[in-house]
Amino acid sequence: MFGLYPSVATFFYSFTQYSGVPGTPLNVCGLCNYAAATSSLLSNVAGAIWTTVKFAVGVTVVQTALSLGLALIFQRRGRSFTFYRAIIFLPGILSVPIVGGMFSLLLDPVSGPVGELFRNAFGIESAFLGSGRISLFLIMGITIWMGCGYGMIIFIAGLRAIPRESYEAASVDGAGRFRTFRHITWPLLAPATTVCVFLTSMAALGEFALVLVLTEGNFGTKTLGVYMFTSAFGTSSQLGYGSMIAIVQFFLTLLIGGGLLLALRRREVTL
Amino acid sequence: MSNQLTKGLDRGQPGMGTPPWSDSGRATKVVGTGRSILQVLSRHGAYILLSAGIFALPLVYLAVQAFKPYTEFLRNPTGLPSGWTATNFSDAWQQGEFARQLVNSLVYASMPTAISILLGVFLAFPIARGYFKQTNLLYGLFVFSGFLPVGLIPLFIEAQALGLYNSMMGYVVMNSLVGAGFFFFVGYIRTIPRERDEAAAMDGCGYVRFILTIIIPEMKPALAAFGVFGFVAAWNNMILPLVMLADEDLWPVTRGLYSFLGENVQNWPLISAGIIIVAAPVVCVFVLAQRYLVEGVAGGAVAGGHAVAAQVSRNDG
Repeated sequence: MFGLYPSVATFFYSFTQYSGVPGTPLNVCGLCNYAAATSSLLSNVAGAIWTTVKFAVGVTVVQTALSLGLALIFQRRGRSFTFYRAIIFLPGILSVPIVGGMFSLLLDPVSGPVGELFRNAFGIESAFLGSGRISLFLIMGITIWMGCGYGMIIFIAGLRAIPRESYEAASVDGAGRFRTFRHITWPLLAPATTVCVFLTSMAALGEFALVLVLTEGNFGTKTLGVYMFTSAFGTSSQLGYGSMIAIVQFFLTLLIGGGLLLALRRREVTL
Repeated sequence: MSNQLTKGLDRGQPGMGTPPWSDSGRATKVVGTGRSILQVLSRHGAYILLSAGIFALPLVYLAVQAFKPYTEFLRNPTGLPSGWTATNFSDAWQQGEFARQLVNSLVYASMPTAISILLGVFLAFPIARGYFKQTNLLYGLFVFSGFLPVGLIPLFIEAQALGLYNSMMGYVVMNSLVGAGFFFFVGYIRTIPRERDEAAAMDGCGYVRFILTIIIPEMKPALAAFGVFGFVAAWNNMILPLVMLADEDLWPVTRGLYSFLGENVQNWPLISAGIIIVAAPVVCVFVLAQRYLVEGVAGGAVAGGHAVAAQVSRNDG
């Protein structure tokens, strides 16, 4: 009722004009929002799609790679490693305003430590989150910082599931470290990779809370999620237009997520 | 700092139980030989730098800045405070009204989690046992629902129509009926042997009693993992309160902190104190429940975590 119905109803509301103020009429206007999206606002929607894709691809690729790296380093047994893993996992359970506020200070151009470091060490001045050139990449980095631990744990579970005999066989055959990884670890990790890539990409495609806290979608960080939220609940409160954005986001997610799932499953079978 | 933490965690570990992979034999050897913390530090320097240096340092930096008077911060924004003060904390506590918000958060995070677990188990049982046909259809629907559009806008309209908007009860109801854990439970109940149902029925055990006394205790590990996940996800949700709760008295701590950040722009020591106040309970819970969380991701709860993640990502971004 509160899960499935709203999702489906989004389709309906995407064909309407509605401000959400009780008592005001709900205008069913057919394709008006889509028409608006394909005409004057095309650059906005297309820009948001492009930002979302950049964000999702960057986060998924880098986070998966880093998670795997961390998993290989911190997979060892023992108390101290349990502790390190817990520390790495910690950012993932902090809520978005905590992380957002934290990095707003760290990356503050005037009074943040990162700004000072760059000023003193390299003589570089930057507005960081206020810079249209790097803002999106910084938010990607922060998202990865939050999600790394989760991915690492998934990969460690995958590594633990690899039978010891496979490694023994490889060492008997005289395989070095790199070749063992290439031919034993990586293929046998395929299920964990599937889970990690899929979850990361789905979350990244829908991400908007962190962007909202850090930049409110300014400086080239307006993803589809942010666009949907600001058009529906911002000053304009165009719920119909926002629903249309949500539908665009849905098709993008379906396209990328579905494609990824198929490709990853096929890869698992062939490996 | 990390030093003390390591010690504390090492001591606390046996009570918390050990994750499946922590080889306690080797660990006792490390502790048992009486190696000093310093030796461990030098051996593990790179690991500590990588884990604590990247993933904990931001929080520590903020904790330090929170003790700095604002006037000193203006002169020296990045260094260590020369005069440590706790006034930022008391100011933030009062201005942010975090006391009430923490109570609200507790309500919003615990009640829906408990209700949805209970409902989920009661609904999952008949489906797991195949008393309900078209199980596959339901399963397919669930997988597909992960892709469905973000239902935030209709949820908002629906909440207004049903009178759930801007009310504490309404918010709890809304979050209790999402059914995220449901399919995770179905899979788990399948692993409980069917003979037990029959034995219980033979002894004249009713449906409700059977689930409460047999199934739920049997599912404890799954429920614990799921409960912790659900609690953390609900606690951390910022978007839904932003949309659904207009009244300041009803705000959970995430929503409150979001406004607090906006109200105190540039007063970073105060903001830091606010963030630390809000983060402290989460970090404490994490230290206690770390095992369930980490184990939960690693073990069978990946599916459950996925369900929560899917639910959260649809409400929360």
